[in-house]
Amino acid sequence: MIILLGALSTVSACATVPPPGSASGQAEYEENDPIEPLNRAIFAFNRALDDAVLKPLARVYRDILPIWARARVDNALDNLRAPIVFVNNVLQGEPTRALTTLTRFIVNSTVGLGGANDVATEIGLAEHDEDFGQTLAVWGVGEGAYIMLPVFGPSNPRDSVGRAVDFLTDPFYHWASNADRPTAIYARAGASGVSLRADLLAATDDLEKTSLDFYAAVRSLYRQRRAAVIGNGAATVKSMPEADAFPDWPTSEGPKEVSGKH
Amino acid sequence: MRITKTFMAALTVLFLVGSPASANPLEDGAEKFVSSLANEAITSLTGPEKSRDERVAEFRRLFRDRFAVEVIGQFTLGRNWRQATEDERKEYLKLFEDLMVASYVDRFNNYAGEGLKIVKAVADDDHRATVHTDITRPNAADSKPVRVLWRVGRSADTYKVLDVVVEGASMSITLQSEFSSVIRQTGSIAGLLGELRKKSADIEAAAKTN
Repeated sequence: MIILLGALSTVSACATVPPPGSASGQAEYEENDPIEPLNRAIFAFNRALDDAVLKPLARVYRDILPIWARARVDNALDNLRAPIVFVNNVLQGEPTRALTTLTRFIVNSTVGLGGANDVATEIGLAEHDEDFGQTLAVWGVGEGAYIMLPVFGPSNPRDSVGRAVDFLTDPFYHWASNADRPTAIYARAGASGVSLRADLLAATDDLEKTSLDFYAAVRSLYRQRRAAVIGNGAATVKSMPEADAFPDWPTSEGPKEVSGKH
Repeated sequence: MRITKTFMAALTVLFLVGSPASANPLEDGAEKFVSSLANEAITSLTGPEKSRDERVAEFRRLFRDRFAVEVIGQFTLGRNWRQATEDERKEYLKLFEDLMVASYVDRFNNYAGEGLKIVKAVADDDHRATVHTDITRPNAADSKPVRVLWRVGRSADTYKVLDVVVEGASMSITLQSEFSSVIRQTGSIAGLLGELRKKSADIEAAAKTN
């Protein structure tokens, strides 16, 4: 663990953070992708795997199960994540969010019938997600270079370590190992993958169809999304183009002719 | 409880325009602008009796009226805007608009009653505000609404969208990094223009065969 963290800080020290508010700096920061050719090759592999396996499964799952049943599955899978979310709430020094997570887990596991019903949200305890990658970010570890992981998809050294730590510290993993039920681990991973993929089908199909460079779009979206969840939503405003990025609008002289005659 | 939730969602959509007025006129105006934009998009783009060409024309009009197209286009070209010649800029802005129209017009085809709820509007300065909205997806297993921020600018009494931020990801920043990646690979702005032209044509061709 300590060795991992040490290695991680060495890697992330190489990543220079641009000055905040600089639009061009943001673009260059997005390009922090020194192994882009390899990443693109792995991305192509992941897409082929997605087309061959995950996407067809997700389509069948979406078309066969009614929305009511899929929502129950999604809730139960979210509920299984609660212990990891709780641990990371605590590690990030967020007692209120930790308490919310704990209460949600107790309420949904009992009244919500094993997590199938998200009763907690209906009584005002909305769900939030955390992971060890976010915790490392809160502790000041930089994201480092962009990495495309086989199967798992977009990541970076910090989030890759986070993913491994979350997996190994999850009580579910320990229960499954001790009870000698490795299939439970595979079943959960498979269900999570298919459930998430089914919800994203429309969005990724649109993005794939309309983007000029799907790889670059996914890279940018991943970076921005991670920055937003690390700030628990507060960072979203900062992720937008800064005011000086829009020098021509609006002007004080009144409405500008924007539409143009094409 | 589920029925109550559905009912509340229906009410929210019905009274989309009737969101509470805030003390700040800029925030209030920005909220009204986003509400009416959503209503306008749904009424003008989801009618089953409209042909695709009609919807394309409607969407282009809406996009030009309600989005600061030139400003967004300039931002998405990033540093390359300064290197572009006058002719390249003109051509780029035209192709950028074409791509946005081609990309988004068909997304309303599968409209399934998604509702837009205004959460709040926050003034960024004296002429810019961010409107926070929640979009509910009736067909998604995950019941959490999608958080969409609308970055809006005001000039005199005209409001225009400057950026749309979906779950923390800015559309302008995403397009900017895509475009700069294409320019790097093709080696020139002319290369990007060619790719833009090709992409719009591909989308149109695919839409015609469906």
